Amino acid sequence: MAYVSMGEAHRRITEYLERFSDAVLSQDGAALRQLLAVSFNSPALLSLADGLNVFQDANRLIKQSDKYVQHSEILVPLLRSFQSYRLGHLVDAYTAFEKSANAFIQEFRNWESAWALEALYVIAYEIRVLAERADRELASNGKTPEKLKGAGSFLMKVFGVLAGKGPKRVGALYVTCQLFKIYFKLGTVHLCRSVIRSIETARIFDFEEFPARDKVTYMYYTGRLEVLNENFLAADQKLSYAITHCNPDHEANTRMILKYLIPVKLSIGIIPKDSLLEKYKLVEYRDIVQALRQGDLRLLRCGLQDHENRFLRSGVYLVLEKLELQVYRRLIKKIYIMQKQKDPNKAHQVKLEVIVKALKWLEMDMDIDEVECIVAILIYKNLIKGYFAHKSKVVVLSKQDPFPKLNGKPINS
Amino acid sequence: MMDRTHRSQPKNSSSCTATAAASTSNSNSKFRPNRAKSLKNLNPSPTRNPSYSGRISGKTSDLTDVEERNNKVGPQEALFEQQEEGDPSNAPSIIGTCPFMCPVRERAQRECLQDLAVFERVDGNPRRTSSSLAVKKFCRTISTKDVKAADVRPLPVLDGTLKYLFELLDSSEHPFEVIHDFVFDRTRSIRQDLSMQNIVSDQAIWMYEKMVKFHVISHHKLRRCSGDPHSISSMHHLNVEQLTKSLRSLYNLYDINRKPDSTYENEAEFHSLYVLLHLASRSHSMGESISVWFHRLPPSVIWSKEMYFARRLLRFFRIGNFWRFFCTVSAEATYMQFCIIETFINEVRAEALACINYGGYKLHPYPLALLSKILKMKESDLESLCNACGLETSVDDMGSKVLPTKQTSFCHPQGDFQNYAFVGLEELLL
Repeated sequence: MAYVSMGEAHRRITEYLERFSDAVLSQDGAALRQLLAVSFNSPALLSLADGLNVFQDANRLIKQSDKYVQHSEILVPLLRSFQSYRLGHLVDAYTAFEKSANAFIQEFRNWESAWALEALYVIAYEIRVLAERADRELASNGKTPEKLKGAGSFLMKVFGVLAGKGPKRVGALYVTCQLFKIYFKLGTVHLCRSVIRSIETARIFDFEEFPARDKVTYMYYTGRLEVLNENFLAADQKLSYAITHCNPDHEANTRMILKYLIPVKLSIGIIPKDSLLEKYKLVEYRDIVQALRQGDLRLLRCGLQDHENRFLRSGVYLVLEKLELQVYRRLIKKIYIMQKQKDPNKAHQVKLEVIVKALKWLEMDMDIDEVECIVAILIYKNLIKGYFAHKSKVVVLSKQDPFPKLNGKPINS
Repeated sequence: MMDRTHRSQPKNSSSCTATAAASTSNSNSKFRPNRAKSLKNLNPSPTRNPSYSGRISGKTSDLTDVEERNNKVGPQEALFEQQEEGDPSNAPSIIGTCPFMCPVRERAQRECLQDLAVFERVDGNPRRTSSSLAVKKFCRTISTKDVKAADVRPLPVLDGTLKYLFELLDSSEHPFEVIHDFVFDRTRSIRQDLSMQNIVSDQAIWMYEKMVKFHVISHHKLRRCSGDPHSISSMHHLNVEQLTKSLRSLYNLYDINRKPDSTYENEAEFHSLYVLLHLASRSHSMGESISVWFHRLPPSVIWSKEMYFARRLLRFFRIGNFWRFFCTVSAEATYMQFCIIETFINEVRAEALACINYGGYKLHPYPLALLSKILKMKESDLESLCNACGLETSVDDMGSKVLPTKQTSFCHPQGDFQNYAFVGLEELLL
């Protein structure tokens, strides 16, 4: 930290206080939000924090002027938060910020128009980010991390403030998305439900009114929830919305959406082009996609194993595992195609022995009884049309459309 | 493949070696910074019944099952929405001083009210108990503020109480459901005492492992009880709830006590039970799906043999691969794992019948001998199951029993399946 003289520190603090009260007085949301962004490390706020750590008695300055005193409930803890953050005391920074944020909400309630919404967004963002860092500090000191959970409660309160008939209500989706991020981080995804219900069923909210960016984020998270619950049609719908409305320049965001959209599409029988995987560096899906194209069960298993951690973390592992049936189907289809080239009249009869051999060639040792079992399942789930003749150990494929397209419908389980 | 010699007797997995804390050094475990605490201390959801706020003070107050349903808290959500028994909180904890299995005050009170269980009566007298027979009851509406130290049992007493209750489990004097009812309630009280005193040591782990095992055994045995079906069914349901609750508290305890480069001997098996409990869960509600649960597990657990087993079983179940499902259960399931899996076995069998009936060539009826081998059943049991599913069996030219396919009368049986033996694992269940 650079050396700051007492006089300079005094000047910086007063300047900040001036800017703050001016912003509120002139209802300048853009100006106000810049003054609240604790974690953004803007040079202005960093130098303010340095000044605070030298001057140490900002409260006196606040009390000195009527202009500042009226916002003292917000300002006193806010400045403390800047100070603590600068010193790396993240738990203190969070606690102070939460206090300030609470006071801010009280005043926000009284401001009639939605001028301060942008500033509120910054508060919502900061409370989450500071809480995450505070929790990390707590954990590293062997204590229970509980700040993020507290941030969630705070944001629920904010949501309540915004859930009214006035113009402020368009801010509700942003706050919802911050809540989603918290719940996903904490693993308490089931808590998303009540907020979702409010957004989707309350009459005061019209989804189309919300800012585009928030709608994309919302659809992304609700889409992910649908993936976790394996409602593939709903997941497809939501994630597709997110991707079509996402700014194509934001490649990182597109990639995040694709990470979940791809397993969904695979589950309904739609395979992405390799060029897509290349473009967005989604290498983890390459082997799996290839396995589906080739009917190569061994490759599917390898692909799952190689990226197991990643898939488990994002919650798509179980979804991908289930693709096994489609891989079997593809293998049988390939055999059928090869047989058709040799002798079109007999092609629709596939001996189970041949399937066993093909699997052996792929280094998968399967009993003929197990192959019969798999074939029975494929037929039962409409992945294959036909029947299996137990005594002849043959699967007889339907002459018409033996491998019906999944047609965007998930395999009924 | 599990060594078959392990299963010459029921596997007692909560042996005392668990108390020799973290004895096995698992070479697979990588050190993971202790981010233990995220599973506990989570806010009660805003939908909690407001009329309860008066009674929930201090630490734990166990909501009744009816209240849980009123709060629309499903079994999966209950994971996070209530503070679990066994979860430490930031409230000050008591240090119990009661030297008996039952506090003196309660003993006198219950003698007066003639509120003594059969096991607590001296010579069958409903008005008399003794310090060696009375065991503290579970109390629903308790707040730590109101509790006196003399009413709470310290750790050594709790340990002795648990051992005593377990001896009762072997008794053949009473029908199992009666024993279960008593042990169920009294172990819940033990958990309550542990929780109020914030006991989270290795000793607590050992005790929780035993109590979970009790619930698992009950899960298995209650299905075979011959008492009133309604009350047994409700006992069974409540048992699953407490089984799940205790499991979660146990996981918490493992997390709290986690040391780098070591694991508890039974930790992997107890984690595998959670997966097996959720074998058939269709998470269509926005509940916590098993996927999210997986990703929070420590590597030493994920890569364990027991979890590997459970995950494969989950895969076979979801894909419908009945052939592998039965093979794998037969070859690798431990006693506790089997008790949990048991609930789903007949469902898998029925699905297998559906599959074969649907896709089998009409002129090639399926031999029951082979099918019963695949489904690990006696032929006669398989016949019975076919009938329960609306399918007729027949006899072929050689006199062997067969299942004609393409029958249109197939239906999944309503209500509970009959208990069929699992061929090959009879010894496991002795």
